[in-house]
Amino acid sequence: MALTLTCPICGKRNGYEFRYGGEDKGPRPAEEGLTPTAWCDYVHMNKCTVGVQKEWWCHRDGCGTWFTTFRDTTKNIESKSPEERK
Amino acid sequence: MNRLTHLPTLRIRPAEKRSLTYQGKTFQGVAGDTVATALFAGGVRIFARSLKYHRPRGLYSLDGECSNTCMDVDGIPNVRTENTLLKDGMQVKAQNVVGSADRDWMSFIDKLSWMMPAGFYYKTLHKPAAIWPLAMKCIRKAAGLGVISADYETRGGYDERYLRAEVTVIGGGAAGMCAALAAAESGQRVVLVESRPQLGGCFDYRVVPMDGKPLYQRSRELAEKVEETPNIRVFKHTPVIGSYTDNLITAFQVGGPDDAFTERYLEIRTDSVVVATGCIERPLIFENNERPGIMQVGCAHRLARTYGLLPGNEAVFSVGHDLGLEAAVDLFDLGLKIPCVADARQDGQNPDLLLALADRRIPVLKGWVATEARGRKRVKGVTLATVEGTVSRQFACDLLVASAGLTPVTGPLILAGAKMHYDSHTGYFLPSELPEKMFAAGRLTGLNDPVAIEVSGRLAGLKAAMAAGADTGSSASDAQQALSALPGPDRGCKLVTAPVKGDKSFLCFDEDATIKNIRQAIDQGFDVPELVKRFTSAGTGPGQGGVPGHNLPLYVAKYTAAAKSTAPAPRRAPLAPALATAAAGGTPQPLFDRPPLTPFQMGDAGSLQDLSSAGTGGVLPIDAAQRMAAMDTPKPTTMRPPLVPTFIVTYAGSNHRMLKRTPLHRYQIADGGIFRNIGVWQRARYFSEDFDCREEILNVRNNVGMMDGSTLGKFRIHGPDAVKALQRVYVSDMSKARQGRIKYSAMCNDDGCVMDDGVVVKLGENDYYFTTSTGRAGQTVEWIRYHTRFDGWDFHLVNLTDAMGVINLSGPNARKVLEKVVEIDVSNAAFPFSAYREFFIRDTIFVRAMRLGFVGELSYELHAPASYMKAVWDMLKDAGAEFGIRNFGVEAQNVLRMEKCHIILGQESEQRTNLLDLGLGFLWDRTKTEAKTVGAVALRQAEKDPGRLKLVGIRMEDDDRPARDGALIVDTRVCGYVATLRKSFTTGQAVGMALVESQLSDIGTRLEIFEDECNGVRRYARVVEMPFYDPKGERMKN
Repeated sequence: MALTLTCPICGKRNGYEFRYGGEDKGPRPAEEGLTPTAWCDYVHMNKCTVGVQKEWWCHRDGCGTWFTTFRDTTKNIESKSPEERK
Repeated sequence: MNRLTHLPTLRIRPAEKRSLTYQGKTFQGVAGDTVATALFAGGVRIFARSLKYHRPRGLYSLDGECSNTCMDVDGIPNVRTENTLLKDGMQVKAQNVVGSADRDWMSFIDKLSWMMPAGFYYKTLHKPAAIWPLAMKCIRKAAGLGVISADYETRGGYDERYLRAEVTVIGGGAAGMCAALAAAESGQRVVLVESRPQLGGCFDYRVVPMDGKPLYQRSRELAEKVEETPNIRVFKHTPVIGSYTDNLITAFQVGGPDDAFTERYLEIRTDSVVVATGCIERPLIFENNERPGIMQVGCAHRLARTYGLLPGNEAVFSVGHDLGLEAAVDLFDLGLKIPCVADARQDGQNPDLLLALADRRIPVLKGWVATEARGRKRVKGVTLATVEGTVSRQFACDLLVASAGLTPVTGPLILAGAKMHYDSHTGYFLPSELPEKMFAAGRLTGLNDPVAIEVSGRLAGLKAAMAAGADTGSSASDAQQALSALPGPDRGCKLVTAPVKGDKSFLCFDEDATIKNIRQAIDQGFDVPELVKRFTSAGTGPGQGGVPGHNLPLYVAKYTAAAKSTAPAPRRAPLAPALATAAAGGTPQPLFDRPPLTPFQMGDAGSLQDLSSAGTGGVLPIDAAQRMAAMDTPKPTTMRPPLVPTFIVTYAGSNHRMLKRTPLHRYQIADGGIFRNIGVWQRARYFSEDFDCREEILNVRNNVGMMDGSTLGKFRIHGPDAVKALQRVYVSDMSKARQGRIKYSAMCNDDGCVMDDGVVVKLGENDYYFTTSTGRAGQTVEWIRYHTRFDGWDFHLVNLTDAMGVINLSGPNARKVLEKVVEIDVSNAAFPFSAYREFFIRDTIFVRAMRLGFVGELSYELHAPASYMKAVWDMLKDAGAEFGIRNFGVEAQNVLRMEKCHIILGQESEQRTNLLDLGLGFLWDRTKTEAKTVGAVALRQAEKDPGRLKLVGIRMEDDDRPARDGALIVDTRVCGYVATLRKSFTTGQAVGMALVESQLSDIGTRLEIFEDECNGVRRYARVVEMPFYDPKGERMKN
C-alpha cells in the first residue's frame, strides 16, 4: 500500500496504479535446444531475492507502459539500480 | 451538575443544549460535549464494567486510551465515548453488564480473581476436553466488550480522500502548529492532522502564562493563524491510523454536523513528516488504581477547563510531573479542595509551582505516592506512602488525580520503522534514529518549557520543508540556535509502581491485567515484554498500548532484574522520611506505619529511579548498584496499525457501483430488458420474465433477432511490427490473415491455458482490427505489451471497446432486414460467411460488419461508433418490424450457441483448461517457432498428457430434467463437471457440454451426475456427438 514507483513516463506515482509483472528474467529463451525443464524454470521459477531485485511493472492505471525498476523486497521500497547505489 | 460557564478556555457552547438517553433517563449535555462528559455532567461515574472481573470503571484519561468508557451508542458497540462528540438524541447503553453498570450482578467475579492467574484460560478448562465447549460458552458470556446486533445496519456516509502534500504534521498542539506554520512559509503544501476536535493540544486548557499571555490564548492565536494560512489544510478530529514507508500517512476524519460524511478515511502522500503528537500520561500503579473517581491529571484538568465540569469536591493528587502540580494549583483556584499533593519525585519540581501551592496552603509530599485507593464503587479515600513504602498516611477524598508522569505518543514513528530505546534522562522510549524525512518535535521529545516546545516545532517544520525540497536552511539553523538556548528535556519520573504487592494494581485496564499477573508470567519464563504481553494479554485490548504501553516494559525490566540478582537483598533500614510538607503547611498529620514489605518491592520504587539519580549522588540503596548491573534496559513493545480503533466501514468507504453501461443500455431497459452484472458490465440477460427464454430463442431460430454485443473487446493494432505482436500472442499463424476475411483464433498463457478467443481482421497493410471476449477487454493491451516487452517492436494498440458498439443481427431473416438499411450488396455471394465488409449506412454511419455464426444462424455483427448506436438500433428495429424482429439477451444467446457447441471462455473453460482440452487444437499452427508463441511450448508438452479433461457434448437420459451448470460428474470420485446444460427448445433435448476425464469422453459413455442437494439421487447423461444443432453449419453459411 505504501509503495510508490517511478514510471519512466509519468514519474513517481502511488503503488496502487501499477501491476506487478514479476522478476526480470530476461527475454524468452531461444527455441534451439530448449528442454522442458529449462522452459519450466523460465516460466515458473523465481529467485525471490531478499533485498534489491529488478522487476517488471506496468503502469496500468496510467500510461500503460511496462518498465523495469529496482525494489527492496525487505522494505517494499523502490530502490536505485546497483550501479547508482555504488 | 453545575457547569463553570465563565471560563475562557471552554470548548463547549453552554447555550446549545443536546440530550442523550441512557438507562431510560434523558441526560442533558451541551454542544461541544463528548458523550462521556455529558454523562459525567449528569452524575454518571461508572461507565462500564471491566472485561474479566466486572470492576466498575469511570473516566480516566478523557482521550479514549482504555476501554473504561467504551459504550454502546446508537447500536454501535465499543464506541469510545470520550472521543465521540455528543449529538442530539443519542441512545447510549452500558456494555458487559448484567443489570446496569452501577449494579452489575457479575461484579462478584472480582472476588474470584485469585482463581484466574495469568494464562489460566490457556491452561485450564480443557482437561477433560469435554468441558471446553461449556466453559467457552460461560466465559464468552461473562467476559468481553460490547455485542453487535445481527440486524444492525450501518448508517451514515463513509468517504475517502487521497491527499498529496509536501509536509504533513501529525498533532495540532503548539509544536505541531508552529511546525505547520514554519513549513508553510516556504509555500509548500502542508497537511495538519489533529485527533481532538480542536487545535491546541496541551496548551488549550492551561492558564499559566508564556510571555505574559496564558497558554490557551497563545494556542488559540496560533490556531487562528494556522486556519488562515491558505497552504495549510487542517483536519481536526482526525486520529492517525498508521504511517508507512515512503511517508504514507493514513488517518480518519470524524465528520461534524455540517459534514456530508460520518467518517472519512484519509491517505496522505507526503514528502516529509513532522510528528508532534505530544505525550499521554503514564498511569500510576497502586492498589485499586482504576476505581471510578481516579483520573489522570489531563482528564481532571480538561474536565474543568474544557468542559466546565469540576471533577470532584475534595481531591488528593499523586503525580510525577509538573503538569500535575500546575493542575492542582489551577483546580484549587476553580474551587476544588485539595488536602494533599504527593509527588513521586524527590526533587526537580518547578519552584514557582511549589511556591504557588504553598501560597494556597496545599501540602506537598515529595517522594510520596498513592498506594491504595479505598471505596468500592467510587474512591472514598487514599493511602499515601513514601516511594519506599516505609511511612504512610490516609486521606479522605472523592477524587484522586493520579499519574506517574508522561509517556510520548510515538506510534507514527514506530510504524514508520524507528528503532526505540530507553532514554535514561526522560525515562521515555525514544527513537534512536528517526526514519527518513521524519522529524519529531514538542513534548514528545521530553520538552516541557512552552517556548522550547514552540521553537522545536518551528525547527522541525523548517527541517521537514527542507527535506521536501524547500530552501529553509538558514532559518532552520537560527531555530536550532534558539532552541539550544532554551531549557531542554525535563528529567522524567522513574517511579514504576507504588510499593505494593499488586493483587489489584492494574497495569492494563482493558484486559484486567495486574502486576501480579505480569510477575506470574515472568516467573513462568516469559522474559521479554512482547511475550509477557501475549501471555497476559496486557495491551491487547481496544486501547492497545495506551495504558500499559510504557509501564509494561518498565515493570518487566525491573522485575526480571530483581529476579536475577541472586543474593537476597539485605533488609534495608528505612531511608530518612522524605516528607516535605509545604512551607506553610498546616499541622502535620499523624503518620501510619506500614507493615514491612518484601525487600524487592521496597527496592523496586528506587531501582529505575536510580538509573538517573545515580550520577547525581542522590540516595542510592546499598544493593542498587548491584541491581543496576543486573538490570536489563527496558525493551519497548512494538506497535501495529491501526493506532486507534477504526471502524471497518471507515476503511471500506462508500460503496461505489462501478459498472459500465453500453450505449444501448437505456433503449434495452425501454424494451423490457432485465439486467445482470457481468464482469465490469451491466448486460440485458432476459427480455421477459420467462427465464428459459423460449420465445427469444425460437425467434432467432425461425425468424430474426437482435442483440447488443457492445461489451465485446475491440482493438486496433497498427505499425510495422503489428503482425509480429499478433503472432506472439495468438496461437494461429496471423500472417495468413487476409483483407476482407475474418480469422478466428485464441490466445493462451505460457501454460497453454486459453485466455481469450476472438477474431482478427486485416484492415490494410500493417493494420489489424481484432475482438476479444468481454471479460478480457481490460487486460488485452497490457497482455500484448507484456509479451513483447523485450522486443522493442514498433506497433500501436488502440482500445476501441468503449468507442464502438456492436449489434448482433441473427436469424434466417437477418439478410432481409440488413438489405433494407444498407446500400451494398449483402447477398450470400457478395458477403459470404466469414467475410468482413466496411460500409456507410446512409452515407454517414461507418460500420464494420462481420458475418459470423456464433448462434448458429445467418448472422451479422455490426460494429459502429458508440454515438451512432441508437440510430443503427432504431433503423434495424424499424426495418425488422415487418419480419417480427425481437431483442434477445445474453441468456438466449448462451443457449443458442450451446446448441451449436460454440464455447464461451470461463463457462466451458476454467483456469487450467488448455486449448487442446477444448478441442480447439486446430487453431494452433505448429509450424510457428514455439518459444516465440505464448503457450506453444506448453501445448506441445500437454499433447502427450493423457490425464487432462476433455470437452464433450452430453445429453441427459431424462430430457425434462437438465442438470445444473457446474454439477459434478462422478463415479467413486469427481471426474469432471457440467459446463453448460439446458433444455434445448430447438431439438427438444436436454443437452450441453461437460469437461470430463479422457476415459469418459467416448461417444455413448454413461455419465453419473451429482448435483447440490440431490439427496443421494444421481442423474445420468450420455456423451453424444457435437454439435446438437445444424451439424453441417448450413444455416449459418447460407
